[in-house]
Amino acid sequence: MDNNGIATDKFEPRIIGFLCNWCAYAGADLAGVSRIQYPPTLRVIRVMCSGRVSDIIMLSAFAAGADGVLVAGCHLGDCHYQKGNLLARRRVVGLKRLLEAVGIDGDRLRLEWIGASEGAKLAETVTNFTRTIKKLGPSPFRLKYDKR
Amino acid sequence: MKGEMHLAWSTDGEILKRAEYGGAVTSLLKFALEYKWVDAVLAVKARNGKRYGCTPVLITNPEKVIETSGSLHCASPNIARYIKEYLDGALYLKIAVTCKPCDAMAIIELAKRNQIKLDNLLLIGINCTGTLIPNRTKRMIKEEFGVDPDDVVREDIEEDKLTITLKDGTEKVKNLDELEKKGYGRRENCRRCEVNIPTMADISCGKWGVMDEKETFIEVFSDKGSDLIEESIKAGYIKVEQPDNIALKTRKRKKEDAIKRAKKWQRRDFTTLKKITLNERLNYWFGQFNQCIKCFGCIDVCPICYCEDCYLEADRDLVTGGEVPPDVLFPMIRIAHVMDSCVNCGQCQDVCPMEIPLSQLTFMLNRELAKIFKYKPGVDVNAIPPLRAPGTEEELRTVVLNSLAR
Ligand code: SF4
Ligand code: SF4
Ligand code: SF4
Ligand code: FES
Repeated sequence: MDNNGIATDKFEPRIIGFLCNWCAYAGADLAGVSRIQYPPTLRVIRVMCSGRVSDIIMLSAFAAGADGVLVAGCHLGDCHYQKGNLLARRRVVGLKRLLEAVGIDGDRLRLEWIGASEGAKLAETVTNFTRTIKKLGPSPFRLKYDKR
Repeated sequence: MKGEMHLAWSTDGEILKRAEYGGAVTSLLKFALEYKWVDAVLAVKARNGKRYGCTPVLITNPEKVIETSGSLHCASPNIARYIKEYLDGALYLKIAVTCKPCDAMAIIELAKRNQIKLDNLLLIGINCTGTLIPNRTKRMIKEEFGVDPDDVVREDIEEDKLTITLKDGTEKVKNLDELEKKGYGRRENCRRCEVNIPTMADISCGKWGVMDEKETFIEVFSDKGSDLIEESIKAGYIKVEQPDNIALKTRKRKKEDAIKRAKKWQRRDFTTLKKITLNERLNYWFGQFNQCIKCFGCIDVCPICYCEDCYLEADRDLVTGGEVPPDVLFPMIRIAHVMDSCVNCGQCQDVCPMEIPLSQLTFMLNRELAKIFKYKPGVDVNAIPPLRAPGTEEELRTVVLNSLAR
């Protein structure tokens, strides 16, 4: 099947994940040490807090060719900088509306709270997100952008 | 007292001669200046006496206030940005400012961002149901009304009618809706504007509820505004009487009708953008954004774009200096930055040389976000813009994150 010029069965999503140093990143580490299997679609960028991930960073990730962008921070109440994850949360809500308005499925942007001990949750998140992105196909943002 | 209402008129013969609705605004400004309530008055006057262009003027001589009397519908100087850029955000100067609702809202948003010192301002709000684009209006007057634009001495927007008055006193009326269908009439953002009375100002002045054209209807929203009225009556600058029930009812009905008309335009503007499929939206908007020539116009006019060091300036790891055309991200990033606080002043769209419908998109998003976060831009100086604030615990329970996409 043709999907924006890329055969669906050959489509390997590119997911850029901004993982908080204190929780989700440690969770990913744990998933690795514990040898939990998940799809090799995630490219990890470590940030000091999910609150660091600005709208510009998220948009730039799409522009750089991400099919999906994952922002993962500490559980509510656990942010090491008090309110970083709350700020990230509102920002993601806002950016989803903008993406949808200009024709990019809001499901391509995902926010999750993943603790340092939750290696399994990280693996599960990536597995589900990969499935979602596979269904959505390659990011039209990327294709439009490349063609420019 | 807050909430009080007056029908007011000037006691000054000269002002009365020039004024359209009793000259109360001009007299209040003159009072504020002569009695040292303020150091200066910031208002708008016709450029070289022509009504199709107007400029902001900073007045310190009370005798000059009269030059700003009468209403101008064409063009809308960027009063909020003007205060920020050229008057040090009113840090060192007390100023009485005449402002339309969008000006007042923009001033409040800038005050929130510490760019304007609100305590130093006296906001004389002017009710508004729309402004017009100068050159397009001249063309409309020539083609639709069949008269020479230079013969026009006055325009008036009342409900769904646009009336122009000529030098010789004749009036010509046209249906606004029909003019607007042809692309004439009010600016696009004004058509969908539902804040016609600037309740965030100290007082609002307008004609709704006025029976003949000899007075101005004033509503008071703050103690400062209340004192201003009281003191200027005492000093003999204006006279007032209480509006009767009919006046109040007329005003209410006109306000509701204006909101209804605005909502209709919102639906018209926004549903076309919303009912098309994701793919169509993508083609449409990327087609638009790909026209951007990086003129920085939208950033220069937007009152919400207040940053000393804008991310979109060259070589801040995002935009390459000297590279044209810019990336499609360029207009998108500005929209992402201002969408939670956009006051629908329409200026970004007015200045865009590529005619990208910027304020249409930004304001549409603003309405969506306003609903989610229960936030109204430009109203409460203490309310933090939602995308800059962590939010409340309660909202955490009610707003489900990942399903919010649609
Ligand atoms: S985005 Fe446009 S319409 Fe909104 S406040 Fe800025 S200039 Fe005005
Ligand atoms: S585009 Fe963003 S960074 Fe630039 S002035 Fe506007 S709000 Fe500030
Ligand atoms: S005004 Fe239009 S062309 Fe100029 S920078 Fe903004 S979007 Fe681009
Ligand atoms: S420190 Fe982990 S989200 Fe702020």
